[in-house]
Amino acid sequence: MNTGEAKEILLLYRGPIDDSDPQFRTALDYAKSDPELGQWLREQTKCYLTIRGKLRGMEPPAGLPEKIVRRRPIPFARDWSRIGQLAAAILISASVTALLMRWSEHRNRPFLGAQEILVTGEVLDMTCYIANNLSGPDHAECARVCIRSGEPAGIKTQDGKVYLLTGAPGQSINTELAEYAAKTVTIKGKQSLRDGFAQLQVEEIRKL
Amino acid sequence: MSADLEFENLVKLYYGDLYRFGLSLTGNETDAADLTQETFYIWANKGHQLQNAASVKGWLFTTLHREFLKTCRRRNRFPHESIDERTEDLPNVPANCIDRADSQTLLRILGEIAEDFRGPLVLYYMEDLSYKEIADILALPLGTVQSRIARAKVQLLRRLSETNLPVEQSK
Repeated sequence: MNTGEAKEILLLYRGPIDDSDPQFRTALDYAKSDPELGQWLREQTKCYLTIRGKLRGMEPPAGLPEKIVRRRPIPFARDWSRIGQLAAAILISASVTALLMRWSEHRNRPFLGAQEILVTGEVLDMTCYIANNLSGPDHAECARVCIRSGEPAGIKTQDGKVYLLTGAPGQSINTELAEYAAKTVTIKGKQSLRDGFAQLQVEEIRKL
Repeated sequence: MSADLEFENLVKLYYGDLYRFGLSLTGNETDAADLTQETFYIWANKGHQLQNAASVKGWLFTTLHREFLKTCRRRNRFPHESIDERTEDLPNVPANCIDRADSQTLLRILGEIAEDFRGPLVLYYMEDLSYKEIADILALPLGTVQSRIARAKVQLLRRLSETNLPVEQSK
């Protein structure tokens, strides 16, 4: 071993703390026989202690431990049965929400299966028919007046099904229908259903 | 002992060492306090996974150093300088010259050393740890730790010798 090799090893030597480390033993022995190296080693050890003292002398800010303790996070306890219950609750809640949304969507749908059909039956004044069960030739004049004045009109088929008659969106068809009050006609139109009420949007009226 | 009390005792026991380690790594008091807090909070959540109670201190130092490196990568704001692979010649710096450097100067110079080298160097100076223990804390091979300490130490002393330190007043 020469001085350079010994210095390279002793560069890491910190003093008594490293005395038991075998990697320094030979180099330390060598330093004993080389006064210049010994002096260098003493200076290095002093440098080490000086830097160490400065680094260890830095004080933490006052109140740091209290702040750490105060803001300590509460660890999340992994209780698997609780996690399972929570997951089941979320799943059920999500399913119910989905069903409700679907039902609501279904309710709000404006037309169900707008389909063109031909319907044959008696033209009704819906107000008198529903309120007082009035229809037929005896009620024809009343029906004509009511329909002309804007009361809702309908058609009752031979099998007893009743449709509310409407015009195209924004257009009244009551004037035309008033002419056929209590008469049997065939109407071509688009059938639709809202909230259980059948409706026929009139496209063509044929008197039988 | 309750978990709260155990946590409180742990903080009292190690916050100083961890803060100093954090300050030497970051050179910034706020960052050091943040790192110290974060380390204890990680302990609060994951400490129960540690099998050997005797290695708590090492675990805390490892965690703080890991968080420091993570922060460096995220922010990329700590200045660093890569260190030459070969060990430079050790400059002759008298101890009394180093003594004139104040803590801020020392921290500033430490901050100019590459992050990967700073951890080993700081542990070398600050803690009474064997090289094996330093290697364990930093999860690095022993040889790597020793070579990093040697190179970083040379750089630290060289920079200290180049710094205009206040002249010692005659008594």
